[in-house]
Amino acid sequence: MTAPHPHDRIEITRCPIPNAEIARQVRADGDGAVAAFDGCVRNHSHGRATLYLEYEAYESMAVAKMLEIAAHLHTTYAINRVAMVHRLGRLEIGETSVFIAVSAPHRAAAFDACRYAIDTLKKTVPIWKKEFFADGAVWADGELPPVPAQTPTAKPASK
Amino acid sequence: MTVKVLYFGRLKELSGSSEESVELRDGSVIEDLFSTCSAARPELRKFRASLVAARNRELAAWDTPLRPGDEVGFLPPVSGG
Repeated sequence: MTAPHPHDRIEITRCPIPNAEIARQVRADGDGAVAAFDGCVRNHSHGRATLYLEYEAYESMAVAKMLEIAAHLHTTYAINRVAMVHRLGRLEIGETSVFIAVSAPHRAAAFDACRYAIDTLKKTVPIWKKEFFADGAVWADGELPPVPAQTPTAKPASK
Repeated sequence: MTVKVLYFGRLKELSGSSEESVELRDGSVIEDLFSTCSAARPELRKFRASLVAARNRELAAWDTPLRPGDEVGFLPPVSGG
């Protein structure tokens, strides 16, 4: 598993996410910017009123994938610290499901890294969301993570 | 050999379990494992084109060879965030 960068905070939790505390933690005195993304539970989906959401994860793999994303941010952007925390279990309307904060000396790198982190998390980290409505529940549409070809003789998955 | 299989999201509901141990012939690949797991579960088989597999927490192609004690997760499209 990718080792966590010192001072990064990469977690899966079942408790409410302390957004303000996390945003404070990523800032150091050499930073001029903290960019944060607060993903929160919306009260509607595809025109239906949402009651609440339930999240589950392949937890050990999800943390490993989040660490890979953080490692990529450190090698790609001129940033300082990364925090990426995703919550599981039942979440009510307005609660934070994922919070990402990135600090950097200058704002452009912080914005770019934060955007890359949430976009990549949504495509590659094994977490699933079930949406509950007054008349039933559905698993949210998602994305299939890209799978590398494993063996030299493997045929491409698709043309 | 024995491998551990994990199901998530709607696959967990379709398969009726979150985890099971499966006995396979030596030399089996992930595709063989899925065939074994879905043999008695037609609704799981229908999902074959819209899931990916992870071997020991790394995404893996269907022709990836398995070893005793491997942990294989079958993952539906992810929807975190």
